[in-house]
Amino acid sequence: MNAPVSIDRLVVGSDLYGPVRVIIPERIEWYDSAMLSAAVGELRQVGSNIHTDENYAKEQGFTAVNADGMILTNWCSTMMVDYFGINYVKRGELRTKFIKLVLLNTVLHVRGKVLAIENTPEGNLYKLDVWCEDAAGTKLVDGDAQVLVPRK
Amino acid sequence: MLGGFISDLQKGDVFESVTYQLTAFMAREYAHGVEENWEGYHSDNVEGGRQMRPPTMIHADKMRILEKNCLKEQRISGMKAPDARVHYEYYARHHSPAYVGETLTVSGHITDRYIKRGRDYLDYYLEVRTSDGRLVTTYTDKTLLRFKPVGEP
Repeated sequence: MNAPVSIDRLVVGSDLYGPVRVIIPERIEWYDSAMLSAAVGELRQVGSNIHTDENYAKEQGFTAVNADGMILTNWCSTMMVDYFGINYVKRGELRTKFIKLVLLNTVLHVRGKVLAIENTPEGNLYKLDVWCEDAAGTKLVDGDAQVLVPRK
Repeated sequence: MLGGFISDLQKGDVFESVTYQLTAFMAREYAHGVEENWEGYHSDNVEGGRQMRPPTMIHADKMRILEKNCLKEQRISGMKAPDARVHYEYYARHHSPAYVGETLTVSGHITDRYIKRGRDYLDYYLEVRTSDGRLVTTYTDKTLLRFKPVGEP
């Protein structure tokens, strides 16, 4: 998405729409390598883990490789910054729970819903449900978020 | 117990902190890895004129602090334990942005360890501050220490 979305139009009950993306091996590799690179400050390449190595994932009790949950958290974060911009980065919060394994080729939809908009002395506090679901609407990641938007 | 595997950690263990300088590369590379195009993560061309990191980079901070405190399972260095860890819950509160060029210190401790529905869980608390003490992020994390139930080979 990344087109500016006016939060002035959000009311309690409004739906939020984030990225719709397919889980492919390259996206898993992109995240895992980027996370390692960010953690050391130079380019690194992910090795074998439960997200990248089918045999290792099976040894560990999984049916197959599965997406790193932080990919999905980051896509939820993308939705939040698309709607709330710098206010999300400065004074937001995000919780995600990885309630089901997310397998390769899953078409993942990031979604949200405004649960409350509280008028506080500092500004409007938006409270949201945030989740990821597959194309059939099965919830794979559950979560919530808050953002305080100061008065202009 | 610090110094061993992640599965050696127990409730009350306090991590030795990690301090590093946030670079433009770190913020850009992390954002790029998740197809995050918000310009403030990639350049200074943003309100306030200072590039900042994605708040989700607290997860990379978790890897940094584990690397320093769990010497038998330094995952950044490619080490593995007998059991893979499985992330279950992420919860980050953003108190202020972390800007490129700032020196960040990550500290934290283990808040709980318990068995639930036959699985071994570890709960973390981490926080990130700038060198002048400004709070950037507070974070709690819940991780399964192995996917298979306790006792299953």
